[in-house]
Amino acid sequence: MKSRTILHVDMNAFFASVEQQANPELRGKPIAVVGGGGRTVITTSSYEARAKGVKTGMAVWEGKRCCPELIVVVGDSRKYTYTSTKINEIFRDYTPEVEAFSIDESWLDVTHSLSIFGSAVTIAYLIKARIRHSFGITCSIGIAPNKLLAKLASDMEKPDGLTVIATENVPRILEHLPIRALCGIGRKTERQLNMINIHTCGELGRCDEGRLTRRFGVVGRRLKEMGQGIDDSPVSIFGEDDEVKSVGHSRTLDRDIDDPAEIRRFILQLSEMVGRRARRYHVSGKTVHLYVRYADFFSSWGKQTTLKNYINLSDEIYKAALGLLDGVELEQPLRLVGVSLSNLKHQTEQLPLFEDERKKLFATQAMDTLNDRFGSTAVTFGSLLPGKEKSGSQVIPPSWRPDGIRKVDGE
Amino acid sequence: MESIRIPLRVAVIYSSGGKVTPKWFELGRRKYEIKETTYFWRDQIGEVPHMHYAVSDGQDLYELVFNTCDQTWTVQTVKSVQP
Repeated sequence: MKSRTILHVDMNAFFASVEQQANPELRGKPIAVVGGGGRTVITTSSYEARAKGVKTGMAVWEGKRCCPELIVVVGDSRKYTYTSTKINEIFRDYTPEVEAFSIDESWLDVTHSLSIFGSAVTIAYLIKARIRHSFGITCSIGIAPNKLLAKLASDMEKPDGLTVIATENVPRILEHLPIRALCGIGRKTERQLNMINIHTCGELGRCDEGRLTRRFGVVGRRLKEMGQGIDDSPVSIFGEDDEVKSVGHSRTLDRDIDDPAEIRRFILQLSEMVGRRARRYHVSGKTVHLYVRYADFFSSWGKQTTLKNYINLSDEIYKAALGLLDGVELEQPLRLVGVSLSNLKHQTEQLPLFEDERKKLFATQAMDTLNDRFGSTAVTFGSLLPGKEKSGSQVIPPSWRPDGIRKVDGE
Repeated sequence: MESIRIPLRVAVIYSSGGKVTPKWFELGRRKYEIKETTYFWRDQIGEVPHMHYAVSDGQDLYELVFNTCDQTWTVQTVKSVQP
C-alpha cells in the first residue's frame, strides 16, 4: 500500500472541557459530567478530577469518594453534538477524507493535502489553533502512517499533545509497549494474550501467526499485524462507512421502576424513538432486541426476536418488545431499558393491501411530518402524555456520527 | 442552577459574516450588561433552529436562546457562579 499520512484527533476530556468553557467558574476545578436525572454514571471528568482518581464509568458516589470537592455537572448533549459537528467541519477544510470515530475522536487522511499545506505537523497546528480559537478547548493529535499508529500517537501526550510516529521509529516504539495500548485490544484479548506469554507489542509482532490463528481464529493474523504496527484500513468518509447494522435507543430511568404499566410506557417511548429514526432514514428491520439493567446496576439481560416481516412502525416494534418482556419474570426493579431494531434493509415504499394497515401507515406518516416540523414529541401516543415523555436520561452512544442515521439528536 | 424560560429584550450586534454578539438584556426591569459570551451552540426543535448563548454579567451565568423563526429571545437557565 502506498505510504499514507493519517492524523488522529482526540478531544481532551471533551464534555468536561466544553462545560468548563461554558461556565468560567468550573475552569481549573475537578468536575464530572453525568447524564440527566442524577442517576447515571460519570461520562467524563476534567483532568483536575482525573488527577484525583475519578474515572469514566464510576458512580457519582465513587467519584466523590476519590475527590470530595468534585463538582457534578449534568451534561447537555446538544452542546456536545453541535461542537463535534463544527469541529468535524474544520477537519474537512484540510481533507475530505475524515472519519468520525466517535463524538470526540476523528481520523483524517491528509496524504493528498500535504502539497497544499506543507506538512502534517502544520495541518495539526492549524487544527489545534482553530479549535482553541473557536471553542476554547484543546485536543491531542497523533500523526502516523496508519490509523492504528495515529490513534496510539494521540494517546501518548495528553492534554494538548502533538506526537508524530515516523515509519522508521515504529519497531522501536512498539517493542516494549504493552499490548493494551493498541486500539482494538481490550481487557479480554489482553488476558488471553497474556496466557500465552505475550505482554508487549514486540512479542505480539514476533509471535508465530499459526499460533495466534489457532487461538483467535481469523483475528489471529490481524493481531500479529497490529503488533507490527501494520494497519491498511482506510479512513472511511462520511456516508461511505460500513452500513448501519441496527437502530437503538436506551434510557437510564430517573428512578428504579417495577410498575408494569410504567415499564410498558418506557418501552413505548423507546419504540417510538427507534421507529421514528428508522423511518426517517428509510430502513426497516426484522429483529427487535430488548435490553434491561436491574436496580443493582450489575445484573442485566437482553432478549431478541426475529419476525417474519420487516417493520419500522413504532407500535409494531413496541408489540415485539413487549412480547419479549412478557416471557420474563423480572427479578428486581429496572434501572435502564433499551430497545433496538436490527437485521435491517433499506425500505422500498409499498402500500399495504388492507384498509386498516393503510390507515395506520398514513397516520404514522402524518405524525412524522408534524414532528419533523414542530419537534420530536409534538404529536405522540396518548399514553406517553402528560409531559413525562422525556423522563430518564439519554447518553450519547459511541456510534454517534455528525451525519446520517447514526446522528442521534440530543434532547 | 435554575431552569426558566422567560421572554426578554436583548441588544445584539450583528457583525459582518453573520456573527451575533449579545451586549445586554433586560430581565425583571433590570438591565444586565454582558461581560462575556462564554459559549455558543445551536440546536433545532422541529424545523426551527435555536441559537444558544452562555453569557456572564460578571456575577451569574445565563443561557440566552434566540428562536430564529419568531425572532424572540428567552432566558433558559441561570447559574449562580459566585459563592
